[in-house]
Amino acid sequence: MNPDSDPPIEVLLVEDSPGDVRLTREAFRDANLRIRLHVASDGVEAMAFLRRDEPHQDAPRPDFILLDLNLPRMDGREVLALVKEDASLRTIPTVILTTSEAETDILMSYELRANSYLSKPVQLDKFELLVKSINDFWLTKAKLPQAHR
Amino acid sequence: MTEGETVNGAASTARPGDAADARYRGLLEAAPDAMVVVDQAGEIVLLNVQAEKRFGYSRDELIGQQVRNIIPEGFAERLIADDLRSAAEALAQHIGTGIELIARRKDGTEFPIEMMLSPLESADGILVTAAIRDITVRRAAEATLAATIEELRRSNEELGQFAYIASHDLQEPLRMVASYTQLLARRYVGRLDADADEFIAFAVDGATRMQRLIDDLLAYSRVGTQGVELSEVSSEDAFTRAVRHLGAAIDEQAARITHDPLPTVLADETQLVQLFQNLLGNAIKYRGVGPPEVHVAASASEDGDTWAFAVRDNGLGIDPVYFERIFGMFQRLHRRDEFSGTGIGLAICKKIVERHGGSLSVESALGLGSTFRFTLSASPVAS
Repeated sequence: MNPDSDPPIEVLLVEDSPGDVRLTREAFRDANLRIRLHVASDGVEAMAFLRRDEPHQDAPRPDFILLDLNLPRMDGREVLALVKEDASLRTIPTVILTTSEAETDILMSYELRANSYLSKPVQLDKFELLVKSINDFWLTKAKLPQAHR
Repeated sequence: MTEGETVNGAASTARPGDAADARYRGLLEAAPDAMVVVDQAGEIVLLNVQAEKRFGYSRDELIGQQVRNIIPEGFAERLIADDLRSAAEALAQHIGTGIELIARRKDGTEFPIEMMLSPLESADGILVTAAIRDITVRRAAEATLAATIEELRRSNEELGQFAYIASHDLQEPLRMVASYTQLLARRYVGRLDADADEFIAFAVDGATRMQRLIDDLLAYSRVGTQGVELSEVSSEDAFTRAVRHLGAAIDEQAARITHDPLPTVLADETQLVQLFQNLLGNAIKYRGVGPPEVHVAASASEDGDTWAFAVRDNGLGIDPVYFERIFGMFQRLHRRDEFSGTGIGLAICKKIVERHGGSLSVESALGLGSTFRFTLSASPVAS
């Protein structure tokens, strides 16, 4: 596939740790050059990006959201609830990526209609593998809705 | 009424004879406890000086009074005969046993006592001698002991929580250190100079080992903090799962693992799987010259309450001087280039077995293989 002719895949990463942001960026770059990674470092910024509030008036509608649970100001659970309540946003696949392996977090995320729940592997190569498989499944194989562009 | 008259009056009640009575009174006064003699109607007929002091009354204020005045509940009731039992039988039920009651002083203050009853034959029927001991100090000591135990339990729990939280929270920054040193190695080894390559290699190795230590520390503290209630589980199922988890190592080492029929036991299933997995894993890892052969046996105790398990291998064996040490945290007997590992596996095993109320031990000699033994409770009969 020619990266120039295919439209970019817009991914919103909601993550407050700069170290994790960079790792994820590196891993996505290795996995798929078509991905354009946008970063919100807390829940408030994520909602502003999704609703195209200032200063995100020109933000693209993401094809996919990768959401950490523990965030400052507004945490990932609230973001997930707001996204899935919103008729124009709920069709965006939203996947939780977090260090929490707590059963309550997993259950609550699915109850709030998360599209899947992934825990961050501790090892770099496993993390890279996970990002690769996110790309393979969600951003390559899965058919995503093209509406509301 | 004078004191002399009262004592004489009481003495005449208790008489078989004056000499015997005087001797009995002497004994009463020599006793270290407060002694109160009561008749079947619950009336005080005799008491010693210690009783006067304890209760704050003078002798003549108590003689002829109801014992209820100084021991409001639990004494007089025990003396009463009813349709089902005679006075002697009523008393016999309580002889020799320490009865803990509350006593009341003249000033109305109360204090805890322990009372021992014994019968005393007299011309007027059976009297009851009560030896009364003030147990205020013992009660206070018991309370202190209970508080200390509770405090210890709480601080132990806090320590467990601390280890868990510390190791969990350390994982995050460490993940950054490990990931970025690995990235550094991947992109820059061979592009700087030989010193840089060596430094990077040490950093990667250190971070990787620290991750393993923290993982193991987490696993160790989970035994105490994340355990579930014990229930009836098939130890054979747990064993089978452990063997499945070890599949790769078993294939790699061409290990042969056999077992007796294994019983149902009272356990936390996840922890039982981990116990088997650690012991079997060690048996395979510390192998001798030939391929590892491991056998798991189980035998019931005579009363059937416990099962003794034995995991026997034909591996390297362990010098008996290290028997104590191998069950400690982060204890290793080998250089890192011989066998990798953090030295926490057996500490986890020990903690699991002890949490189940059992014990873990080893029998071994260098070159002769090892047998690890542990006990678990059989299923409860009915609880």
